[in-house]
Amino acid sequence: MRDSLRSLLRHRKAAVGGSLLLFFLLLALVGPWFVMDPTDLVGRPHQPPSSAHWFGTTGQGQDVLAQTVVGARETLAVGFAVGALVTLVGALVGVTAGYLGRRVDDVLSLTTNVFLVIPGMPLAIVLGAYLPSGPLRMVAVLTVAGWAWNARVFRAESLALRGRDFVSAAVVTGESHARIVSRELLPNMASLLGSSFIGNTLYAVGAQVGLEFLGLGDVSAVTWGTNLYWAGNDAALLTRSWWIFVPTGMCIALVGFALTLVSSAIDEMTNPALRVHKPAPLPKGTILPVHVDRPAPGVLLSVQDLSIDYATEKGASRVVDTVSFDLAPGEVFGLAGESGSGKSTIGSALLGLLPSSARVTQGRILFNGMDVTALEGAGLRAFRWRQVSMVFQSAMSALNPVLTLGEQFHDTLAAHGRVSRTTSYARARELLGMVGLSPDLVTAWPHQLSGGMRQRVGIALALALEPRLVIMDEPTTALDVVVQKELLQRMVELKQRLGFAILFITHDLPLLLALSDRVGILQGGKLVELNTSEGLRTNARHPYTQLLLSSFPHLIAGDVSVTSHAPATPELSVSRPSTRVAAIPGGHR
Amino acid sequence: MGRYILRRMGFYLIAAWASLTLNFVIPRLAPGDPAAAMFARFEGKVAPEAMGALKAAFGFTDAPLYAQYFTYLKHLVQGDLGMSYAYFPSQVTEVIGTGLMWTVALAGVAVLISFALGSFLGVLAAWNRGGWLDSGLSPALAFLGAFPYFWLAMLALYLFGFVLGWFPLRHAYGHDMEPGMTFAFAADVARHAVLPATSIVVATLGGWMLGMRNTMVATLGTDSIRLAHARGLPPRQVMLRYAARNALLPNVTSFGMAVGFVLSGSLLTEIVFSYPGTGYLLILAVRNQDYPLMQGLFLVITLAVLAANFAVDLICLWLDPRTRSNA
Repeated sequence: MRDSLRSLLRHRKAAVGGSLLLFFLLLALVGPWFVMDPTDLVGRPHQPPSSAHWFGTTGQGQDVLAQTVVGARETLAVGFAVGALVTLVGALVGVTAGYLGRRVDDVLSLTTNVFLVIPGMPLAIVLGAYLPSGPLRMVAVLTVAGWAWNARVFRAESLALRGRDFVSAAVVTGESHARIVSRELLPNMASLLGSSFIGNTLYAVGAQVGLEFLGLGDVSAVTWGTNLYWAGNDAALLTRSWWIFVPTGMCIALVGFALTLVSSAIDEMTNPALRVHKPAPLPKGTILPVHVDRPAPGVLLSVQDLSIDYATEKGASRVVDTVSFDLAPGEVFGLAGESGSGKSTIGSALLGLLPSSARVTQGRILFNGMDVTALEGAGLRAFRWRQVSMVFQSAMSALNPVLTLGEQFHDTLAAHGRVSRTTSYARARELLGMVGLSPDLVTAWPHQLSGGMRQRVGIALALALEPRLVIMDEPTTALDVVVQKELLQRMVELKQRLGFAILFITHDLPLLLALSDRVGILQGGKLVELNTSEGLRTNARHPYTQLLLSSFPHLIAGDVSVTSHAPATPELSVSRPSTRVAAIPGGHR
Repeated sequence: MGRYILRRMGFYLIAAWASLTLNFVIPRLAPGDPAAAMFARFEGKVAPEAMGALKAAFGFTDAPLYAQYFTYLKHLVQGDLGMSYAYFPSQVTEVIGTGLMWTVALAGVAVLISFALGSFLGVLAAWNRGGWLDSGLSPALAFLGAFPYFWLAMLALYLFGFVLGWFPLRHAYGHDMEPGMTFAFAADVARHAVLPATSIVVATLGGWMLGMRNTMVATLGTDSIRLAHARGLPPRQVMLRYAARNALLPNVTSFGMAVGFVLSGSLLTEIVFSYPGTGYLLILAVRNQDYPLMQGLFLVITLAVLAANFAVDLICLWLDPRTRSNA
């Protein structure tokens, strides 16, 4: 809690917003003692700013400065009171609905949603017209008109928390509802409560000012809203007395802006994705100018002394460290390593897909003699997919959900040459058939397919331009073992038919050994061992490789018989459980 | 799909019923004799039997409450919202009819422009994250968005109306114009709409921009965008067809939810410009204690917002293939 408070203060938005807010709170609290009585008629009406009246006088001859300062008091008091009340009511209704669920939720959600679509201002006006005047009326009216949005937010949040383990655990141990809500749910909603309170205060100030401007407040009180009401009534515009309405409007906007800043600072702290990172600059790399070597015979891809740094807030962090390997046309090359070993970063670098915070600081990637790291713009786009394509781990989410499969094939083909939709769709049907899917799926949407089907689409898409290298980045981790096996078998068949090379990236070493011709082992960004699959299985030198191998006890126990170049056989030994299920005895499914 | 639409329609019917009922309940919450308070200003102005009919339109009879409720609903179904005091002896429905037309035109156009422009700026800000649009324009618009709509309207009216004299000061068209389907009239209406519409756009632009920017930033981090780049698609296509198209969905939903809020703000803008829409009528009703007109406006504005929400639901359905086929 103290940590989050400290980071809130370090945050620039929070600092600016917080000090502005503090200024106005002080102004509201002590300001009225330093100015004249805002209701006194102290001068002639509509006087421009002067030394006697710094902000001029109103249409009735009152001091505008006094009215602005004194107006802060009731405006902010009502604003914060309504902010708190709306948060309380919203949280109460929302948490009750989300936590209790079922019938209670149905009724409360419906009520909430109904109040959400009924426009607040007309409702507040009609309510306000019938209730007796005073600050309490304002609080009541604004709360009734504004609670629903909050209830919705808190319902969603408590639904999410309800499903989490620590809450389920509390339910199982028989703790009372009240205790679970107060001890488990509410503490986890602290930041939501905070940002809601700020947001609701923002709403309350705005709505209050609007209603008072309409004359629905207490027009004899001095608030920012009534100031503007009188400005309108006393013909401030007609007499061109801008000083009557400008100071109050500026104050309202500054308070609103301060609240917005604080609330967005809270949002950014709880959701780091929204933050704009300013990472420490990376040292200039020693990238060689574009040049095309004559490709070495029998080498399709040559990664030479490749180093990649990520910029972090603490400085550069090396994720790939002087890695070198070659890949022959038609070869299956495996890269194995745990998460964070840099294997996926290498895959991204091959396609020029590194995030903006990462940079190649040393070495080069030669594809057919051409340095990929020096490509950019149209040259890079022409290289991508035509030469090297990729099957993503998450084909489930990698396809565009709002386009049919046919459209996504068409976009891909059209990016690499003029092609009509008819031609693209025909090619898409052919490709879908090739990976064992019905060609008619060309008109289907991604969400209509199962995970395995989507991954097949991912493969079909990767083969669309008949590239010479296909990178497979953990293509099967999200699939169950049976689907995994079918998929890889299909891939191997296609490889033999079309002759492309594969760079297979995974943490699943036994799978790699079964599939690949050669395997490289990555640890902490360094290539610690590189050998044929056969060589690695029988003679792993590096202790880390031995460790990786020994974490698959069944492999050492010799319950599998794979030969190095056997991937095409139906007995493809990929039905072995992956690391995650390996710990379960008899984990075969 | 049909079932989804039916479910939404059911919801809006319930919401409509709830607002009808609120309209019935609220006057009865008032302390003292609500009927007397409501119609005090009509005393002496209308004949006693007309008074009875007026009260009946709101269900104020001597019958028990549930019977009053049915009387009220019956009159509603017949389109009888009573008689306006401020526009005596016009029927409330007539008064609201023309007002609603102006509001829908002004607020509708302003909100659509603001949403389209704001979303587009949000797309660009997220695409060039940390660029001048993102770090310069966003905060500036957020600051403008902190001003009350009607205050921006006052300032615009003061500067461009009173001081510079570029635009007319009030109303929807000049008093010397003959309303009709003529070009001159349309041009005059447009000239009158510029200031009020612009102040609504300026006040709301930042909100749409920020919303779109944030969902767009989230979308840009997904694998669907990486895959699009990996396939060598042109950047503009990735930005619009892959990222913006997906980021738009949640924003259209929040657009639906904000319609009522924006309308509330534009009602106040109308007042500043004496624009003859529902907002202007609303303040006339409040100042003249014209309760029948006020309640009629509440009902009509609410129903209009419900209709707008339903339209947005349909648009979402059309935009998102997932709800289109699942529902």
